[in-house]
Amino acid sequence: MLSPINISMESLNLMTLAPMLAPVVGALLILIIDLLKANQDKSLYIMISLLVLGIDFSFLLESAGVFSQNGTLMGVFDVMLIDGLAIISEFIIVAASMLFIPLALTSKRFHEFSYPEFFALFLFMISGFQFMVATDNLILIFVGLETASLALYTLIAMHNRDKSFEAAVKYFTMGALAAGFYAFGSMVLYALTGSVEINQIASVLNANAYVDMPFVLIGVVFMLASFGFKLSIVPFHTWTPDVYEGSSAALAGYMSIVPKIAAFVVAMRLFEFLIHSNVVWLEVVLYIAVVLTMTMANIWAIVQSDVKRMLAYSSISHAGFVMAAILIGTTQSNSALFLYWILFSFTNLGSFSMLWISRQKNLIPGQGSDHNYEKFAGLVKTAPLAASIMALFMLSLAGLPPFALFWGKLYMISSAVTGGYTVLAFIMALNSAIAGYYYLKLIVYMFMKDPEPGYAGDVSVSNATVSLKTIIGFATIGTIFAVVAINPLLEFITSFVYNSGY
Amino acid sequence: MLDHILSILIFFPALAAVLGFVVHKDSMRAYGVAVASIEFALSLWLWYAFDNNVSGMQFMEHMTLIPAFGINYILGVDGISLFIIILAAFFTMIGIASLSDTKDVKNMIITLLFLQMTMIGVFVALDGIVFYVFWELSLVPMLYIIGAWGGPRRIYASVKFFLYTFTGSLVMLVGMLFMAYFYYQATGQWSFAILDWYRLILPESIQLWLFVAFFFGFAIKVPMFPFHTWLPYAHGQAPTIGSVILAAILLKMGTYAFIRFSLPLFPDASVYFMYPIAILAIIMIIYTAMVAYAQKDIKQVVAYSSVSHMGVIILGTFALNVEGITGSVFLMIAHGVVSGALFLLVGVIYDRRHTKMMDQFGGLASVMPKYATIFGIMMMASVGMPLTINFVGEFLSLLGFYQQSHILTLLAGIAIIVGAIYMLAAYKKMFFGDVTKEENKNLPDVNKRELIALVPLVIITLWLGIYPKPVLAPINDSVESVVKLMHEKSITNEAKQRIPSLVKDSAITTTSTREVH
Repeated sequence: MLSPINISMESLNLMTLAPMLAPVVGALLILIIDLLKANQDKSLYIMISLLVLGIDFSFLLESAGVFSQNGTLMGVFDVMLIDGLAIISEFIIVAASMLFIPLALTSKRFHEFSYPEFFALFLFMISGFQFMVATDNLILIFVGLETASLALYTLIAMHNRDKSFEAAVKYFTMGALAAGFYAFGSMVLYALTGSVEINQIASVLNANAYVDMPFVLIGVVFMLASFGFKLSIVPFHTWTPDVYEGSSAALAGYMSIVPKIAAFVVAMRLFEFLIHSNVVWLEVVLYIAVVLTMTMANIWAIVQSDVKRMLAYSSISHAGFVMAAILIGTTQSNSALFLYWILFSFTNLGSFSMLWISRQKNLIPGQGSDHNYEKFAGLVKTAPLAASIMALFMLSLAGLPPFALFWGKLYMISSAVTGGYTVLAFIMALNSAIAGYYYLKLIVYMFMKDPEPGYAGDVSVSNATVSLKTIIGFATIGTIFAVVAINPLLEFITSFVYNSGY
Repeated sequence: MLDHILSILIFFPALAAVLGFVVHKDSMRAYGVAVASIEFALSLWLWYAFDNNVSGMQFMEHMTLIPAFGINYILGVDGISLFIIILAAFFTMIGIASLSDTKDVKNMIITLLFLQMTMIGVFVALDGIVFYVFWELSLVPMLYIIGAWGGPRRIYASVKFFLYTFTGSLVMLVGMLFMAYFYYQATGQWSFAILDWYRLILPESIQLWLFVAFFFGFAIKVPMFPFHTWLPYAHGQAPTIGSVILAAILLKMGTYAFIRFSLPLFPDASVYFMYPIAILAIIMIIYTAMVAYAQKDIKQVVAYSSVSHMGVIILGTFALNVEGITGSVFLMIAHGVVSGALFLLVGVIYDRRHTKMMDQFGGLASVMPKYATIFGIMMMASVGMPLTINFVGEFLSLLGFYQQSHILTLLAGIAIIVGAIYMLAAYKKMFFGDVTKEENKNLPDVNKRELIALVPLVIITLWLGIYPKPVLAPINDSVESVVKLMHEKSITNEAKQRIPSLVKDSAITTTSTREVH
C-alpha cells in the first residue's frame, strides 16, 4: 500500500504562480461580465484588462524584489523557475501589452473589439507567454506556447478581413508545424536523457560527454526549426509578412515584440548549454541563420511597396540581429538581448501605432494596400507633427544616435566584439547601413515629396484618438530620451541575467 | 559660466531652434540671425578666454552618462578645434544672414540651427560615443536641407549622401567598440574617453586594422579619392546654403577626426599607411583638378576644386610632423573660408540667372564689377596665391610633407599650380570677353545682404593671409603636444624616425615658461 504523499503547502511556493494567474482571473472576469450583462462597450473591457495587467505588473515587481534578495525561486513541484530571465521577459511582455491594449480605443469602429472574447483571449495569451518564460520544463513550455499561439491565431482572424483569415490560417498551419517539430525535438531529448527539464538535460548530456551525438543533433535540429518558425528566422520566416499584413497594424506591432521575446528566452535557455558544449555544427548553423536573417530580410524590405510589409521584414531583420546574442552566448550578449528588445519594443510599437492611426476603413481607388508609401507622401505638409514622429521612429529603427535603438545596437555589437565575433560585428554594422535605406525611403516620401492627389490631408491621422496619441507620446518620449534610462536599465538587466547564471 | 561654455555653445542653438517653432515666419530670418550672432559672440568669447599657453584641453566638462558602459559626456577644446568651432558659428551666422528668398524659410532656419548644434558638438566632444552621436546626427539636417530645397535630383543626392556617410561611420563605430574593449582588457574598466584612449599603447597589428576601420568613416566624410563620388552630387543638388555649410564645416569633420583619433591613437599604423594615403591624396588632388577642368557647371568646378584642396589637407596631416599638421589645420580653416565664399558667390549668380552653366555667362566683369572683384580675390585665394589665407596652409602642409618625401611633395606642388588652370579658365569664361547673352546685360550687382556675407570673408582671407600668427600660434602649440604624444607612443623604429621627437623643443619651452614665472 502506498503511503500518503506529504507535501507542505509552503514548499509548493504557490506565489510563483501569481503573475500568471492575474491575467487568467481577469479573462474569466471579463467572460462573467459578458454572461451577466452582454453588449458592454469596449472601453470597459479595455480598462479591466489594463487594471489586471497593472496587478500583474506589481506582482512582477514583488518577485523582482524577492529575486534580488534570495536569488532564483522554484515552485509548484519545481516546475516553475522564477529567475532573472523570467522576470525581465515578463516585464517586457506585460509592459508591451499595457501599451498595446489602449490602441483598441480607435475613433473608427472595428469589428473585433466589440467582442469581449477578444480581450479574454488576449489575457489568456499573456498568461501563456508568462508560463512559457517562467519554466525550464519542456512540457510546460509547450503548454504555454500553445495556449498563447491558439489565442493569437484567433485574435488575428477576428480582424474580419479576407486577408486576416488568410493570415490566421497561414499562421496556424505554420504554428502547428512548429509545434510538431517542438514536440518531436523534446521527445528525442527526453529519450536521450530521461528528463524534460533543460538543466537536467544539460547535466546528463555533459556527464556522458555527448556520446549519442547523432541523436542530440536530431533533437537540436527539430528544436532549431521550431524556434526558427516562432522567431521568423530565415528560411522559416515566410509567414511573417503575410501574417502582419493580414492583421491590424497594432496587432502586427504587438506580434513583432511579445511572442518573440518569449521564444528568445526559451531559445536562450535551451541553446545556452548547447553553444558552450563544443557542438561546432550548431554554432555554424546558428551563425549562418543569423547572418542570413539579417541580410536577406533587409534586402527584401528594400523592395516592398507597402510600409507595413516593410516593417514586417525589418522586424525579421531585427530578430536576426538579436539572435546573434544567443549565438555569442556571453553575459554581456544576453543582457544586450534584453536591452535591445526593451528599446525595440517601444520604438516598434510606436511605429506600428503610427500606421494604426492612419488606418482607413475603405481603400481609395488606385490604392494597392492599406499602408502604401504614396499615402505618406508629403505628410510633413499636411500633418507635420505626425510626419516628424514617424521620422523619429524610423531614425531610431535605423540605429541613428542618440535615439533609443542606437544604444541597443551599440551594446549588441559591442558584445559581439568582446565575444570574439569580429566578422559578425562588421556584418551587423553593415546591415544597419543597408537597413538605413528603406527607413530613409519612408522619410523621403514624407519630407521630400509632394502629397499625392486623392489622399485627403487627414488620411494619415484619421483613426487617432486621445488614447492612441498618448501611447504614441509615450513611445516618442521614450525614443528621444532613452539615453537617460540606459544606465539604470543596463545595471538592472546585467545583474538579473548574471545572477541567473547566463 | 565659463565652466560650461562648451555645453552652452552646443545646446543654445538647439534650444533656440525648438523655440523657433513659435516665431512667426515673417520674423524668422531676424530671429535666426540674432541667435546665430549670439552664438558667434559666444564663440569669440571662448577664443578670448582661451589660454594660449596651454597646449592641452581647456574648458573641460565631465558628466557621467552611462557609467556602466564607460560612456561619459566629456567636452573640451584645444587649439586644433577652437578655430573650427568659431568658423562653424561664423558660417551659420552669415549663412542665415545672406539666405536668399527660399520657400519654407522657417523650416530652413530651424534646420540650420539644429545643424549648428551637431557641428559644434562634433568638434568639442572628447568621448568617442558623444562624438559619434553628433557625427551621425549631423547627417539628418543636411539630408533634409538637400532633400527638401535641392535641385531636380535632390532625393537621389541626399540619400546617397546619407547612406555613404552612414555606412562609413558604422564601420568606424565597430572600431570604437574595439578600442573600448582593448581599454577594458588593459584596465578592467570600460571607457570611451578619447584622453583615456590616448594612454593606450596597442600592438602594431591591431593598430593597423583599427586604423583601417576608422579610416573608412573619416575618408568617406572628407571625402578621399575612391569615396568622393557622393560629394559632387550633394553639391550639385544642394541649395547654396547647404553647399556652403557642407564645404566649409561638415567636410572638416573628417580631417579633424584624423588628427583627433587616427594619428594619436595609432601612430605606428599612421606611419605604415603614410605613403598609401599620401598617394591617394595626390591622386585626389590631380584627378579632381582634371575633372574640375572638364565641368561646364560653375558649381561643379568649385565642388571639385574643394575636393582637390581637401587632398592637400590630408597630405599635410599625414606628414606627421608639426609643420604639416599645423598647416593642415590652418588649411581646414582657410578652405572653409574660401570654398564657403566661392559657393556663396555661385549662389549669387544662380539667384539672378537660375543657371549655373558657364557658357550662359561671359563678360560679367563689366556688368557686375563688385561681384567680379570679390570672385577674383576668392579665386586667387583658392589657387593659393601668396598673401591669401590658403597659401599659408598649403605652404606649411607641403613643407611638412617635404620632410617625408621630396618627390611626392614635388608632384603635389606641381599639381596645385596646374590646378590654377581650371580656376582661371572658369573665371575667364564667366567674367571676361563680351557680354554675349541678352539676359546678362542688366544683371544687378551684389546687393547689401550679399555684401554682409562676402565682405567679412574677404577681410579674413586677406588678414590671415598676411598675418596668420594669432591663429597659427595656438594651433601650433596643440599640434606639438599631439606630435609629442605620437612620438612617445610609437613602438616601431620606423615610426620613431618618421615622427620627429620634440624633446629638445619642449625643453626650451619649459625653461622659457620657468623664466616667465
